[in-house]
Amino acid sequence: MTTSRLVQQSIRSMRRYPLRTIVMMLGSVVGVAALTFVLSVGRGAQEIMLRTVRQILGDQAILIQAGGGTMMGGPRGGSSRLTLDDMEAVAREVPAIDAWDPQVQTFNSSVKRGSAAATVRVLGESERWSRVWQRGVSRGQDFDASAVTGMGRVALIGETVARSLFAGDDPIGGEVEIGSVPFRVVGVLDRFGVDLHGMDRDNEIVVPVSTMMRRVKNVDGIGGAKLVVKDGSREDDVAEQVRRVLRGRHALAPGQPDDFHMMTSTEIHQMESKIERVLLLYVPLVGAVALVVGGIVAAVLMLASVSERVGEIGLRAAVGASPDDIRRQFVLETAATIVLGGLAGIILGVIGVKLATQRMPINAPFSWSAVLIGLAAAAITGFASGVLPARRAAQLNPVDALR
Amino acid sequence: MIELEQIGKRYVRPLPDGGTIDALANVSLTIARGEFVAITGTSGSGKSTLMNVLGLLDEPTGGRYAFEGQEVSRLTPAERARFRNKRIGFVFQAFHLLARTTALENVELPLVYSERASTEGLAQRALDAVGLSDRMSHRPGELSGGQQQRVAIARALVNEPDLILADEPTGNLDPQSASEVLRVLQQLNASGRTIVLVTHDPAVASWAQRIVRLEGGSIVGDRRSGPANPALQEAL
Repeated sequence: MTTSRLVQQSIRSMRRYPLRTIVMMLGSVVGVAALTFVLSVGRGAQEIMLRTVRQILGDQAILIQAGGGTMMGGPRGGSSRLTLDDMEAVAREVPAIDAWDPQVQTFNSSVKRGSAAATVRVLGESERWSRVWQRGVSRGQDFDASAVTGMGRVALIGETVARSLFAGDDPIGGEVEIGSVPFRVVGVLDRFGVDLHGMDRDNEIVVPVSTMMRRVKNVDGIGGAKLVVKDGSREDDVAEQVRRVLRGRHALAPGQPDDFHMMTSTEIHQMESKIERVLLLYVPLVGAVALVVGGIVAAVLMLASVSERVGEIGLRAAVGASPDDIRRQFVLETAATIVLGGLAGIILGVIGVKLATQRMPINAPFSWSAVLIGLAAAAITGFASGVLPARRAAQLNPVDALR
Repeated sequence: MIELEQIGKRYVRPLPDGGTIDALANVSLTIARGEFVAITGTSGSGKSTLMNVLGLLDEPTGGRYAFEGQEVSRLTPAERARFRNKRIGFVFQAFHLLARTTALENVELPLVYSERASTEGLAQRALDAVGLSDRMSHRPGELSGGQQQRVAIARALVNEPDLILADEPTGNLDPQSASEVLRVLQQLNASGRTIVLVTHDPAVASWAQRIVRLEGGSIVGDRRSGPANPALQEAL
């Protein structure tokens, strides 16, 4: 039998038993959709995660947050006792620290300029913020140490803030009110975009930390700090020294938990590889399991179909199908059904990727390799599922089959 | 065209019995090209076994079978399949049409396994020959029993075989459809085709020119009835 006639016969059979065909496809639709989706989105998600982590930590930094508990579990409320004095002591006693910057923030402060109002994140930082966070000022100028010591009411605003409060006007030299405190805008922050959490980092205002603590929030403690380490390879070492200084200053007895939280890039990398494992191992595993289960279901359905179509098989034998022709037909029928399901799965996966990229700041270019892997997986499953039913069909004795 | 020489078909009964049954014993039969032969006998007489051997669906356990001078009793299953495709057309009692498949596609089935380079128009011509050219896109469920069997005859014809084997082709049909089907077979014979008709029914057998009677796996009668017997045909 020629291949084209074989394919035609298989397609006709698939059309003759539409319900069976659809059920046989389900497993490969789900499996291939999951594979395609993860293989496309996985890379993009990983990339943006790395980028965000690098933006926050750089290659060699330690983040300290007031309050104990873990970062992943969210901050633990209660008495945070991290102060500017604590951080100054750390910087003094740990020489491996290159630079540091304290941070005091509010997430939803209402900011006004005349009748225009916006809800923004306000950050109080030292004059070293630009160097420590690797972000500069695109227009105007940064504030200096004297603004920090003198509790200057100067502000650096993000592009989104500039747009919502100043519209087309030049914001430099303008005045904004944070809460009820008036600030003079001296600069506009470098554009940043949206971070991993979906937060618009251009909807921010940076002011001197002292002004933030005394005039805006009226607090004694700071929320956290970022320490840049001179030698990245000694990061864990340095973190340990910082911990010792802070525990000493907070008079924590041995066995008592830290009342602050430290995060190093090592920890971030561990977190990241955990997420990566979920994305790149477990989800494809689910896809593979769906494919295998789908393959088994398809094989069982096909075996049932062989028993149901004994008459047809006998007839085909009578009119000239050799055992090999019959074997090939059933293998191809199974494989074609599953591959068709796989194609549907690819379409579904691509739609999923489109939806994901619309909702998340993820860059996931259409991945031909994902499509090829999905199709290959479906084809392998299909041929494997077809082997047993096809052998059963080919072994039928035409005389018995026609009875 | 067909020469059977001392053909035997012996079955071994399943254990614990272990004995043997001779479904066919020492059957020698010659059928010439262009004959219309009926093989009759009661059930268990071996007529179905003989039909399966003639149609190369089954292998005899003894004897010699020559088809157009070619020894065919010891072919491999694949060789037998190719031989059936080229040289033999089958018509069955239960029609064996593929459900949910048009008459045309059903008739095309033997062409699927054919070595012909072009099969263009053959199926239409075969349906035309059985008078169903206006039913090509009908499915079996939309056809009467007689029409379904005529589709099956068209399928048997489509690859232009040397021999048409019909196994109780009227068994599932009412008398009117039965004579309609038998008339088609007779016309095919008149146009030169060799037809072997297996039936238990003497009235159906009377349509043939020659009647071979089997009993207990052996031939007990072989007579030429000459032209068809109109009185018996009317009795249908």
